[in-house]
Amino acid sequence: MNGAEKKARFIAPDTLIGKRIPKMDAPEKASGKTRYIHDIDLPGQLYGKILRSTRVHALIKSIDTAAARALPGVHAVITAADIVNQRPIGVAKDHFPLKTDKVRSLRDEVAAVAAESEQIALEALKLIRVEYEDLPILTDPAEALKPGATLIHPEPRQPGGQDALKPSGPVAFTGKPDNVAMRFDYCHGDVVQAEAESDVVVEDTFKLHYVTHCCMGVSGMIADFDSSGNLIMYSNTQVPFLHKREFAEYLNMDPARIRIIQPAIGGGFGSKLDIYPFEVICVFLAQAAKRPVKLVFTREEEFISSPTRQPVLLTLRSGCKKDGTLTFRVVNTLHDNGAYTSWGATTPFVMMQTFSSLYRVPHCDYHTTAVYTNNPYAGSFRGYGNLQATFAVEAHMDKLAEAIGMDALDFRLKNAQAQGEVTGQGMEFDSCGFKECLDTAAERSDFRRKFAENLKNRNSSDPIKHGVGIASMLHVGGGAKIYPSDGCGTILKLDDFGQVTLITGASEIGQGSETVLSQLVCEELGLPMSALTVVNNDTAITPWDVGVHASRTTFIAGNSALGAARLAKAKVLAAAARKFECPASDLDLRGGHVIKAASGEALIDLPRLMRNLHFSDKAELVMTTFYYEPPSSYQDKRYKGNVSAAYAWASQVVEVEVDTETGIVKMTRITAAHDVGRVLNRLGIEGQIEGGVVMGQGYALTESLIIENGVTRNPNFRDYKLVTAPEIPEIDITFIETMDGEGPQGAKGVGEAPAICVAAATANAIYNATGVRIYGLPFTPERVYRALHGKGEKLVPLTAKAA
Amino acid sequence: MNEIEHYVAPSSLEQAAEYLQRSGEVTLLAGGTDLMPQSQSGKLKIKRTLMNIHQIPELKGITIEGGEIRIGALATITEIMQSELIQKHLPILIEACDQFASDQIRNAATLGGNICNASPAGDMLIPLLVLDAEVELASKPNGSLTRRRLRLTEFFVGPGKTRRAPAELLEGVRIALPPPHHYARFFKFGTRPALDISTISIGIAGVLNTGTLSNVRVAFGAVAPVPTRAPRTEQALEGRHLDAAAIDAIAAVARDEVKPIDDIRATAWYRKELIHNITKRMLTHVAQA
Amino acid sequence: MSLKHDIEFTLNGVRRQASVRVDMSALDMLRDVVGLTGTKYGCGEGECGACTILVDGKSLNSCLLFAVDCNGRNIVTIEGLAADAKADALRAAFVEYGAVQCGYCTPGMVVQASHLLATHPQADADAIKRGIEGNLCRCTGYKKIVEAIASVNAADKQGARP
Repeated sequence: MNGAEKKARFIAPDTLIGKRIPKMDAPEKASGKTRYIHDIDLPGQLYGKILRSTRVHALIKSIDTAAARALPGVHAVITAADIVNQRPIGVAKDHFPLKTDKVRSLRDEVAAVAAESEQIALEALKLIRVEYEDLPILTDPAEALKPGATLIHPEPRQPGGQDALKPSGPVAFTGKPDNVAMRFDYCHGDVVQAEAESDVVVEDTFKLHYVTHCCMGVSGMIADFDSSGNLIMYSNTQVPFLHKREFAEYLNMDPARIRIIQPAIGGGFGSKLDIYPFEVICVFLAQAAKRPVKLVFTREEEFISSPTRQPVLLTLRSGCKKDGTLTFRVVNTLHDNGAYTSWGATTPFVMMQTFSSLYRVPHCDYHTTAVYTNNPYAGSFRGYGNLQATFAVEAHMDKLAEAIGMDALDFRLKNAQAQGEVTGQGMEFDSCGFKECLDTAAERSDFRRKFAENLKNRNSSDPIKHGVGIASMLHVGGGAKIYPSDGCGTILKLDDFGQVTLITGASEIGQGSETVLSQLVCEELGLPMSALTVVNNDTAITPWDVGVHASRTTFIAGNSALGAARLAKAKVLAAAARKFECPASDLDLRGGHVIKAASGEALIDLPRLMRNLHFSDKAELVMTTFYYEPPSSYQDKRYKGNVSAAYAWASQVVEVEVDTETGIVKMTRITAAHDVGRVLNRLGIEGQIEGGVVMGQGYALTESLIIENGVTRNPNFRDYKLVTAPEIPEIDITFIETMDGEGPQGAKGVGEAPAICVAAATANAIYNATGVRIYGLPFTPERVYRALHGKGEKLVPLTAKAA
Repeated sequence: MNEIEHYVAPSSLEQAAEYLQRSGEVTLLAGGTDLMPQSQSGKLKIKRTLMNIHQIPELKGITIEGGEIRIGALATITEIMQSELIQKHLPILIEACDQFASDQIRNAATLGGNICNASPAGDMLIPLLVLDAEVELASKPNGSLTRRRLRLTEFFVGPGKTRRAPAELLEGVRIALPPPHHYARFFKFGTRPALDISTISIGIAGVLNTGTLSNVRVAFGAVAPVPTRAPRTEQALEGRHLDAAAIDAIAAVARDEVKPIDDIRATAWYRKELIHNITKRMLTHVAQA
Repeated sequence: MSLKHDIEFTLNGVRRQASVRVDMSALDMLRDVVGLTGTKYGCGEGECGACTILVDGKSLNSCLLFAVDCNGRNIVTIEGLAADAKADALRAAFVEYGAVQCGYCTPGMVVQASHLLATHPQADADAIKRGIEGNLCRCTGYKKIVEAIASVNAADKQGARP
């Protein structure tokens, strides 16, 4: 056998990039072995439950917990009065986890219980007596702005009451003289002059509705204090490192004493970016009971108390010249914040990018007022305002084109951004496949022919009308610099057996990050996927990352993993170069071996080289670290700046059948062309696009959280209709590979992109089919039927003053 | 929380009827698909005794007896769907089964449960009404098993309320074999094939003879407190030659006849429009059949 | 506290007993009494299918099934399928075809798919979609789930599986 060993072995080049790589965690998940928060129990654990308000807006006159406390098996009952120096949470620090003197929405937390079983905890909740005094209810955001409107957070907070914040406290929020939570004002150019020079001007008002994430795994967490007072949280958060610091602030703890462990997460989609009252309350309960406490929602609770996508009322005024050149846009929007401020209020950061920069718009004004009401509060949700903005922009692209008699596709191509452009808002498009996306989606769907044919058939006697619509989107694809750092850290270790442990700050929430990061490392180190183990769920182990949001993980964490892998490769090759007495540049890694780069001849397998290195005079292990910070910049005070290191583009063509006798809109086909930079894991990226498209379909057609007078009327899957399998359209996906210069292997982020333009394209398709444009979502049968029969909702335009 | 004191699982109809006669405070468990979520959410409180009737053989099976098809109360939606008897003689029931909830629920939910729940939107009730089904109720008032029959049209009193007495058990339904040239169709409005609560549903049945229907029965779901027959629409349709003008006129009668309400699923106005438009569409199919 | 009742049933091929509250669901029994957590709570109302199990060969939502009604019945959960070589191809197809993302709906989906394959071996894509209409998935858009199930059906037809 010695002879055989000496025979040279050559390893052919191969690549993992662009291949269909199954998710590393899929075998466990398909066997039911994966442990989600719901599946984890700690010894001695108690069960937490929250008592929520039964009133939409009321003063809390008294809370009597005596009977609940006396129930056998109850370990702790807490109200705001039991928490010393409770601090407000949230984006505007306007939200006490346990409500003090007032409830402001039906989801509000009034008291909480920790007991030996869920049943006992629920029994105890029933024994808590709360006396309320109703206040006027404010649920219409337009009403909220009127003088004399009921104030949701009147200033100053009740003197001497618990809401009165100590001047020395860490928090600035002291109530508001009006119901305005936030304002955003942006402009570039001179819209007045531009409007005067326009040949055509259109103005419309759009109403975007409440939807919610509906993660299949309901929210939950476990809080546990060790005997030294360190807090261990088993949490579903998408932003563990930000939360570590924030929880510390809210709990008045040293952040160093908080450790966050993330079990497998049953869906994120942006829902787990903020800190919610239940999480803080769970910690309070663990503190009070001196036992670990697990708090998990019911589905009804998930619907009632989870954040929603930001509902928006929006008036858009747009103009163009006869030759099809866009001239200006003026946007006024009114955001219904709900009773508290979460990320929903800040969606204008993303919305204004679409208005200012999806197409070349020389002059743009954008104004948002986010107001408080007694409705559920709005959070962050895949797309982050972009579904709403794109819905309006793409309606106007169709309307302007029609007004000047130009083809809808030509009009878009004429105004589409291209590589190298810097927009009025300061976004720099180093890679941009927008026009290619438009062309590809149109060609693959036969858009022009179908569009013309459908127009001809609009007035036929067949009650079923066919429509085709196109819409496009721009979204950050290289992170988003909104925190002091937008980076991600990686620790890489190679062991004596050639096994690699990738320790990354980036969380897996189902999107497949651990697989794509492993793929990038394996590609660099010439290893099979089986050589990788990923650790990504414990703040005591993993290096810092800003979190899973803004479609950033493949790009940012990918570059970070790649950086660490490159350092490891250099170390390995340097060791091999010493051993084989040749320059490291003559060597490479492939198929688990060090090879001669020129010939592919295998010199030594990686495990043996690792052991040689380890058990030598100089005893060395290969362990590397890397921190990647993208070359993006903050927006200035006027919201200008290049916030992302790369931008993603997409065009989608939606085809529908509209039954004019029932209003049913059936989505038959979606043709999607996405500029993703480069395809890394084809299986994974297809899954992201397909899932996002169907989420967009739900937003367009079926999903609506019905809020009446502050009450959520459909907190269940029976009446909150997620798309089911038989409803999905045929989905045709083309990837446009623009090879972004900064992206890992040329890739850009894609997580949010596919959901963004579906509703916009659907609206255009319905118009193509019927000649009726519908300005509100979702396109439920009744809404469509009403619109077709001239009974559509009349929307009052927002003026700059009203917004 | 439910304060259940007794759990019984009788193995015969006699036993069950006897128990019901003795103890008034009984909640019946068959498929459980409605009872479980309603009791868990507190919308329904299980009474002192929970009686599982799942093991009672007399309540099972689908048979043909003396010109009638008998469907046992415990027949699941899946069993009805797969029954060759039903496929052959009562295909309208297959249409309703196919749109009933989901496979998992069809495998558990029973016909008896769907009838006794008496939902205005109950999927199986509209076809049963146009088939003029009868319910068979069993009790044991004087120490011996007694049965009575009631036409389904008379069975429903209000949402969730029926004429079943507390001591009675729904044993099954009986449907006379349809006459030759029988035509019966069911339509359930929804945006997806199943897993949907009816916004409206329509059943139309009769004897078809070159574009006319006679012995007509029409029923509407989700437009009244109970699933209901539509006598005015039936009258307008009876024996009428179904040309375009007649179809328009009958659809208008149907729209006027129903008295739906506004709820989160639809407004009354829209429900009436749907009744009109779908009736028209269904009658157009009849005319072409 | 609510009344308890002793039952006996077969779980994943093994006879066993349990003492359960009479108003308890089979889902709670499996997760909290028996300790098998592969069956998931998604809604508790039979609307999402995450808790799908097989009872006497038929797929049911375990959240709608009374635990006491398991008495004398034959129950198979995802753990049973995970240990059953006959289900290997199905689970492998879910992995290979990318039918898994967050994975929370996956156990219920796999159980329902196994029922579908057993009862409708000829199911085409449309029939597969109907077969899983009671199983909600928020991540994948269903396409890859349908492809995964169809691939097993196709392999069966070609005799690629024993």
